[in-house]
Amino acid sequence: MARRMSRRRFMVLATNVAGAGITLLIAAPIVGEVLQPIFTRRAHPWVRVGDITQVPVGLPTAYVVQMPTTQAWKVPPVARIVYVVKLNVGSAVQVLPLSNVCTHMQCDVHWDQNLQQFLCPCHGGLYSITGVNVGGPPPRPLFRYRHKLVGETLYVRDQLTEA
Amino acid sequence: MPAVLSIAPHLVPVGVSTAVATALVGLLMLTHIQFAAFQQGGAMLAALFDFLGMVRRDERQTRFARGMLKTMALAFTIGSALAIFAVMILFTGLWSHFWVKLLRILFWPLVVEAGAFVLEIIALYTLYVGWDRLGRVRPLRVGLELVLVIDLFVQMLMINFVASYMLTPRPAFDLPLILLNPTLLPLEVHRLIGNVAFAGALVALVAGWRMLRARTPAQRAYADWMGAIGAVTAISFTALQPLVGWEYAKEVQLHAYASWYDMMLGGLSVAFLFQMFLLGLILTAGIFFFWRRVRTSGFRSPTLALCAVLSLGAWLLGATPSSLAWTYEQVFAANANVPIWNGGLLIPFGQMIPWKLTALVAFTFVSITAVTVFLREVSRGHLRWGEARRSQAVALITMGVAVSLIMALMGFIRENARGPFLITNQMLINQQQNFVPPSSAGPAQAGAAAGANLVLGGP
Amino acid sequence: MSVEPRRSKLVARLTHPVARPLASVYRWVDERMGISDLVYKALYEAVPRRGAWTYTLGSVTLIIIALQIVTGMFLLWSYVPSTTEAWLSLNYLAHHNEFGAIVRGMHLWGAYVLLLVIGLHMVRTFVSGSYKKPRELNWITGVILFLLVLALGITGAMLPWDQAAFWTTVVTTHVLSYVPLLGHWLQEVWRGGNQVGPVTLTRTFAIHIWLLPALLVPLIGLHIYLLRRHGEHGSWVNYRNDPEESERERADRVLRAEPPYPAVPSDPAYSVPDDLDEFFPSQVGKDAIVSFVAVLIIFVMAVVVGSPLEAPANAASLTYVPTPEWFFLPLDQLLVQFPQAWMIPVGVFIIPGLASTLLIMVPFLDRSPDREPWKRPQLMVPALFTLLFLIFEALLGVNRLFNL
Repeated sequence: MARRMSRRRFMVLATNVAGAGITLLIAAPIVGEVLQPIFTRRAHPWVRVGDITQVPVGLPTAYVVQMPTTQAWKVPPVARIVYVVKLNVGSAVQVLPLSNVCTHMQCDVHWDQNLQQFLCPCHGGLYSITGVNVGGPPPRPLFRYRHKLVGETLYVRDQLTEA
Repeated sequence: MPAVLSIAPHLVPVGVSTAVATALVGLLMLTHIQFAAFQQGGAMLAALFDFLGMVRRDERQTRFARGMLKTMALAFTIGSALAIFAVMILFTGLWSHFWVKLLRILFWPLVVEAGAFVLEIIALYTLYVGWDRLGRVRPLRVGLELVLVIDLFVQMLMINFVASYMLTPRPAFDLPLILLNPTLLPLEVHRLIGNVAFAGALVALVAGWRMLRARTPAQRAYADWMGAIGAVTAISFTALQPLVGWEYAKEVQLHAYASWYDMMLGGLSVAFLFQMFLLGLILTAGIFFFWRRVRTSGFRSPTLALCAVLSLGAWLLGATPSSLAWTYEQVFAANANVPIWNGGLLIPFGQMIPWKLTALVAFTFVSITAVTVFLREVSRGHLRWGEARRSQAVALITMGVAVSLIMALMGFIRENARGPFLITNQMLINQQQNFVPPSSAGPAQAGAAAGANLVLGGP
Repeated sequence: MSVEPRRSKLVARLTHPVARPLASVYRWVDERMGISDLVYKALYEAVPRRGAWTYTLGSVTLIIIALQIVTGMFLLWSYVPSTTEAWLSLNYLAHHNEFGAIVRGMHLWGAYVLLLVIGLHMVRTFVSGSYKKPRELNWITGVILFLLVLALGITGAMLPWDQAAFWTTVVTTHVLSYVPLLGHWLQEVWRGGNQVGPVTLTRTFAIHIWLLPALLVPLIGLHIYLLRRHGEHGSWVNYRNDPEESERERADRVLRAEPPYPAVPSDPAYSVPDDLDEFFPSQVGKDAIVSFVAVLIIFVMAVVVGSPLEAPANAASLTYVPTPEWFFLPLDQLLVQFPQAWMIPVGVFIIPGLASTLLIMVPFLDRSPDREPWKRPQLMVPALFTLLFLIFEALLGVNRLFNL
């Protein structure tokens, strides 16, 4: 009787262990597949924005830039907007390449000429000309692109820094 | 006088000063609003209770609906007479340019308004005269009451098109845009809810009065029940108002900043603070009534007691002024924008964010909780109608008077917040009677200039 | 095996058209599969006569979900889940495959009508007190099904990869990044990177057509199993008010009652409907009529209004105004009302999460034996306020987008 019980218990144990094993063997690669994007390193090549000579001081100007998608397989580059802002700082002119992605829910903000502010149409976020969040829900200032100027030609990388 | 005739479209002055004309029309319209608001809220309550009385075969509810409709019919005569006097004499005579412009822009809504007025007369007086005969076919009577409710809704919607247009006109000459302007929806919801709360508060007021004067137990029982109905209606609907009003003020801030500034920080901020005081008074009186009424019937409700205490606390917090000056500009001019304990004029606990906001949120939740608990006690059969005490009747009367005052005060604030304008940035209050459009500076430009000054004169 | 006379009559009536000409075949199959037993079990149930029309809402929900599954299956014949081709495939459908466009329209309007019908179904259940013991799990599975349908609605809105879909994707996936601690990882997992791109679409597609339906369908099975187990007598109109019995006694009796609770008048605790009817054909007939009306509405809307396809997704747009699907307007408005830093998670997660939790907890918040709505103000009043709040939020959202 005791022998039978132990055999019975062994089979129960075997069921549990085998069941756990089956689950694990199926789940492990699936979890890996799903989580893969977290562990992928992405390259950020320099992208040419254009000649910014014509950008007036104090008027944010939108440049459409073809950003290569580094997410997955090769697809055509995606158009994104870089707002080039020129400001007088003392005697020099400072160039700010602002992202137009709202820091609240990532909608596209645009420069509103009447308000003299960047406005996000999704939830009414407002940013000053330097990208500082001044109204509505955004929690942070607009991001700035890492950039370099070659002469008057602006290059940015699809890598964002906080203001 | 050929000179006058030659400018015939630009009218002969009546000779009443702008201040007097403003006071006249203001007084008349604030009185009119009391009657009109009662019509709308009362129609809803009458329809609801006639329906309930039909479904649940409750004679008391039918009696309530009947009383409400008879009162409405009487009130309607006064309210409509005031409106007709305002439109025919005051608007046409003293505010000619404004009235003509408004009629031209909002012609169709005002036509619908007039039509709805006629339908209201038909429906209301049919119900008034034929109450008993219609009672033989109850669904028909309830149906007619529903017609009245919808008709009054349409009427208020039309007048809200006008009121919201005057505060936040759309520059586009496009009727849908003009009608569905930014403040229409919040104003509509705010007034719809407010009118029901107002009607409930008047029911409570009358019930409180009847409680004090009741001779027989039957009279006392009916007055007590009616007081509970009125208080529940008034408090539960007023509970929604902080959120709706907040959103209304937000739209005003976004689309008519000068008016918003005037209400919140400028000359009208004292009136707004008094409104906060009245709101606290209404809710505290109502919740006090719930708490004591349940206690009178022999049931202790710690939740209701807590609600009363919290409501009192929120009232104190909400009615604290944010500074010891009339306007924020005075504080600024006196260079005293530091807390009073540092020698300034500011009282930090009176600030809108976070303290008044906290008080408003507390009002909402405390009121909903109190109404829920009170209704739970009623549904358990804990209340014996007719036991209400004197203090409870006084609480109901206080609440009713406060709601009536807050209705008038809000109308006053809304109409005065537009500052020098009748239509924001488009038409000024003065030059209404003897106005001759000169070739150089028309009303639009003058208005725009004054508007620019106001906006720049802000913070 | 003895067959009850009632049963054989019912089965005979049902199987007549098939059984008569193929009598021997039918008998052969029936002997091996027990079709008659199945049909009998499925179609014979005592159901209440009062409130029968309100009970049709559940069946309408089921029929529309079936419609969604079928139209969804056949949308896959035309749709390509790729950022470069999704819009093109649907654009082709709209202009070169008219019936395909109707299928897509029915899938869209099916979702809209489904949400409305589920809403009515929930209101009916709530007001009538049907969620009470022993039907708590019916309510809980129902709420989870409702949340799954909302999730299906929002993921479905992301698939056409037009402007509306693209910005819905951006906002919805970005909402996840406000989850404390894990936020950015969750967003990256769904997006397949830090930005919305090709992987985002394939993942959303997989969630919409497989993950969520795979959860939905078994839960529907459980929901219906529980319905049949307890019978359709949850509503207060189907309870007899016994004036002889005090409230206390009744409460005791209800609390002591244990399963199984047969859906027949014999059980005094749970099933005392005054008036019974047959499930087939009385209830099935009503269900069919209401379902037909619902499907007709869906069909007409699909043909007349159709399903919109905006301009292709464009991440560099300065004029496009993203608007949420109407059923997400209240949530979208919460995003406006809870600005800045720590308040965003309150509007995004805490308030909707609290609301969902309270909705699931409804059977445990109100454990009194009373089912009449006017005897449960402790639940009816807050629910009414919540409903008004949701409607007001949606209206505010419309007002904000209209007056931008």
